[in-house]
Amino acid sequence: MSHPLIQSIWLLPIYTLMGAAFSVIWFPGITRRTGPRPAGYVNALMSLIAFAHASVALFYAWDNPAVDFTVPWLQVANLDLSIPFHIDPIALTACTVITGLNFLAQVFAIGYLELDWGWARFFSLLAFFEAGMNFLVLNDSLFFGYIALELLTLGTYLLLGLWFNQSLVVTGARDAFLTKRVGDLFLLMGVVALLPIAGTWNYTELAIWAETANVDPKVMTLLGLALLAGPMGKCAQFPLHLWLDEAMEGPVPGTILRNSLVVQVGAWVLVKLQPVLALSPTVLNFAIFIGALTAVGGSLIAIAQIDVKRTLSYPTSVLMGCVFIAVGTGNIQAALLLSLSHALAMALMVMSSSAVVWNSVTQDVTQLGGLFSRRPISGLSYAVGGLAMIAMPPFGGFWAMLQLVEGLRTPHPWLAALVIAVNAMLAFGFTRVFCQVFLGKATKFTERSPEVHYWMIFPMMIVMGFVLHLPLILSAADALPNWAEISKDSAVILTWSTVSGIALAAVIYLSPTVSKPVKLPSQALQDLFAYDFYTPQLYRNTIIGFVAISSRLLSSFDRIWIDGVGNFFGFATLLSGQSLKYSTSGQSQFYMLTIVLGLVGIGLWLCYPLLNVG
Amino acid sequence: MILSALILVPLLGSLIVGFYPGVISLALSRSITIGFASISLLLTIATGVMFDLSHIGLQMQEFLPWLPDLGLNYSLAIDGLSFPLVALTNLLTVLLAFNSSVGLKPGEDLKRPRLFYSLLLLVNSGVIGAFLAQNLMLFFLFYEVELIPFYLLIVIWGSAKREYAATKFLIYTALSGVLILAAFLAMNWLTGAASFEYGAIDTTDLSRNTQLVLLALLLVGFGIKTPLVPLHSWLPDAYVESSAPVSIMLGGILSKLGTYGIIRFAVGLFPETWVSVAPVMATIAAITVIYGSFCAIAQTDMKRMVAYSSIGHMGYIILGTAALTPLSMIGVISQMVAHGLILALLFYLIGMIESKVGTRELELLNGLLNPIRGLPMISALLILGAMASAGIPGMVGFVAEFMVFQGSFAAFPVQTLITILGTALTAVYFVILLNQTCFGKLDTKSSYYAPVARWEYMPAFILTAVIIFLGIQPSWLVRWSQVTSDAIAFVM
Repeated sequence: MSHPLIQSIWLLPIYTLMGAAFSVIWFPGITRRTGPRPAGYVNALMSLIAFAHASVALFYAWDNPAVDFTVPWLQVANLDLSIPFHIDPIALTACTVITGLNFLAQVFAIGYLELDWGWARFFSLLAFFEAGMNFLVLNDSLFFGYIALELLTLGTYLLLGLWFNQSLVVTGARDAFLTKRVGDLFLLMGVVALLPIAGTWNYTELAIWAETANVDPKVMTLLGLALLAGPMGKCAQFPLHLWLDEAMEGPVPGTILRNSLVVQVGAWVLVKLQPVLALSPTVLNFAIFIGALTAVGGSLIAIAQIDVKRTLSYPTSVLMGCVFIAVGTGNIQAALLLSLSHALAMALMVMSSSAVVWNSVTQDVTQLGGLFSRRPISGLSYAVGGLAMIAMPPFGGFWAMLQLVEGLRTPHPWLAALVIAVNAMLAFGFTRVFCQVFLGKATKFTERSPEVHYWMIFPMMIVMGFVLHLPLILSAADALPNWAEISKDSAVILTWSTVSGIALAAVIYLSPTVSKPVKLPSQALQDLFAYDFYTPQLYRNTIIGFVAISSRLLSSFDRIWIDGVGNFFGFATLLSGQSLKYSTSGQSQFYMLTIVLGLVGIGLWLCYPLLNVG
Repeated sequence: MILSALILVPLLGSLIVGFYPGVISLALSRSITIGFASISLLLTIATGVMFDLSHIGLQMQEFLPWLPDLGLNYSLAIDGLSFPLVALTNLLTVLLAFNSSVGLKPGEDLKRPRLFYSLLLLVNSGVIGAFLAQNLMLFFLFYEVELIPFYLLIVIWGSAKREYAATKFLIYTALSGVLILAAFLAMNWLTGAASFEYGAIDTTDLSRNTQLVLLALLLVGFGIKTPLVPLHSWLPDAYVESSAPVSIMLGGILSKLGTYGIIRFAVGLFPETWVSVAPVMATIAAITVIYGSFCAIAQTDMKRMVAYSSIGHMGYIILGTAALTPLSMIGVISQMVAHGLILALLFYLIGMIESKVGTRELELLNGLLNPIRGLPMISALLILGAMASAGIPGMVGFVAEFMVFQGSFAAFPVQTLITILGTALTAVYFVILLNQTCFGKLDTKSSYYAPVARWEYMPAFILTAVIIFLGIQPSWLVRWSQVTSDAIAFVM
């Protein structure tokens, strides 16, 4: 018999949904009387309750077998749609991270949105997000996973649209929604197509089925690619990556969640689906290819960004690209480690850079500088977050990357080299931003730029504590790669790549001899990176152009032809009626003439075959 | 008797409101209409309570010989196909009676209210009659009875191009009626059936080609009403030129007669021939989805956009009907209800926006989510309605669409996948719609909107609540039609 807290784990999404429902009360009317704040407090409290529940449940579930139970939802025709829950320590760890980070993000938001009026909307959406993510990791079904992903897509759209009167926000929200929806719909195709083949949507059963499955490889490839599209959209992988960058226009506390956790939901589904995807080598290779492309491209683009928030969007895609590589090559443990370390470190970095954005006039890194002495905690957070994200011993990212490189070393040495190079570029990119924002001389934008207040500093410090302790926690949980078994070469090369990336960036961006802003030898190359490989133009000229032109063409076709033919018949009828009315003149000669003409016509028609013979 | 009551109560109401000799004020005629519509709704609930979920086939039959020589009898019955549609019709009628002035300018009163309410109840009575009739001729009578009230509703309360739209509607629908009548008469004569009773017609002995011709007549006839591409061109004009309540009646109530007719008469009476033409129908369905969605993207008028979206959504229904599996048929019935609810919500909100802001042009609208000067609650509900229509889970549209997709995939994989792609286009035009209307910067110089009274929200709240409730608890929707849809699917 499992612990009551585990049995009632389905309450996790309910808590925050209750908070969300409660904050609807603050929808404009009451806000005028109470101010918007109570909505935020209620939601933060509900998140805290959820966190407490999840962490205690995790404590009891540790070292115990997974608990499975189902909740009936819909039984229709021959389809049984009950919600299967699969509660294992991994899922509960994910829940703990989700609820914990969400609580901290909400506390951060209380400080960040001090002067904002949209609290009720914002906090209820964060709660909605949390509920969606918890539901995703707790249930054991691809179908309900799809539902959760769709709800998160909707949530992203609304959360991004919070400040809806700014035009960039509106386009960002639109692109995020459409990009993710496209991914979701391919996933839906996969979901629909998978059931007749596999007979189940349960991840556990799918894994068992996949062991002995005998499927037409062509079908399996198409199916696998469709299933892959969902995670590609969620994890912002090329070519569905642009939304994450545009999403930076949304409110920051939402970004904390989005960049650290929401992108991970794709990775979660990917990991769960790995046995199914593995049925087609093409699909796995495609996943690896997409991951590698995004990792390399993203880390190059990240270096060319000057908006402090946008410098963090591409590294997220890059890390997720590494997860794709890990899943594609079957290194599930590495994928999970990468996800965990990335979630915490990215949350910390977004918090730190958001604090800078909050009370600096600019968020252009080239105009910032020398902030470390004024904002030591933000600076330290950024540094710790950056180091924990890349392969720097002894932080969490190091162990994750090491596990990945170890897994790749023998079967795919090229991929291992690629991951090491990506790691170096990430190190370069983070160090560049750190140097430009926190080190160097103060500029006129940063001279009066003090550290932010406690509502934001506190959550930042707590996350920093978690980031610093992550290796210890992992080691206590036996989740770290076994030091005795791994090749020390990989560890050394990885560390060396990190150090060289950091050193190179430090030299370039701190040395007065290198002119600022730093330019690449070729302007075209620099523009290519700065403008995201011209992906927006690529979209515009392909899919967007296609949809726009087709819709316009079809619409004119509808107006001119479909409507036109109907109107033509109507018009012709009216016209013939109008003209025929003149034929009723009352003169018998005229009637005779019509009869004669008719008879001649009939006669000709009857004689036609005879005439033809002659 | 309860089925007759479902027809007669609104008819009686219609006669009272329309022909009572004394003066009836607007408020009183509204109250009478609400009263009669509510009685109908209560009767529907009672029908639901009495409804035997495990009964295969028709139940609560009522039979009265009327003109037996002609084969015309007054014969009514209900099953899992018609009950959800009856419930939908009666719910929408109550809501429309509650607020018939949606879409009017602030301060403007509904003109000729007695005629309007009388026609509203008449339409209700006729549609319910058509859903319940089990005699082909009786069905046809009810089907044709709709024509004149709708013509009047469009032409009296419509907007600028209403006469064109009404005439177009009249001609198309009359053509639909003629084709259906021809098919019914031919079925009766060719099979030598003693009457037009639904159960008396047995087409299995007819030659294959005869069956095909008859089926084609029915499909074109009901296809006009549904509508299917390319028979749809009456719809955008009729929806757009009608006033908001009338377009809700057209989209939420009347268009269901088309799909109902296809399932009941085309599939029900020619099952084998239907299966043989099903691939063609599935392809037409996929084309309808894509075509409607693409056309919707290009529109600049909110209402026209939603009208085209409605055409696209009909494609799901035809796809599921073509597949004819138990799951797809439940999906189809659910989709009819879902579509009616969601379309009604969208048209209602668009009507509210039109009456408060004074325009439906996407180019002119902006920033309505603004909490102080905009229409935040209407915008929030509009977002919800649009997302429901785009098939986001948690709302009734998703459940229905998903059952259609899953049920149809095994039979028509390619067409189903194309249809799912069409759902992506749905998202495109709804995001265009929402971004233009709800998001963006409100022009505070011109945004002096009339306040929205609480009661005006009521119908929208109720529709939203039903959409979400059935989305989270779909068993309440599918339980009515499980047995019936199994039976329809197994006729083959």
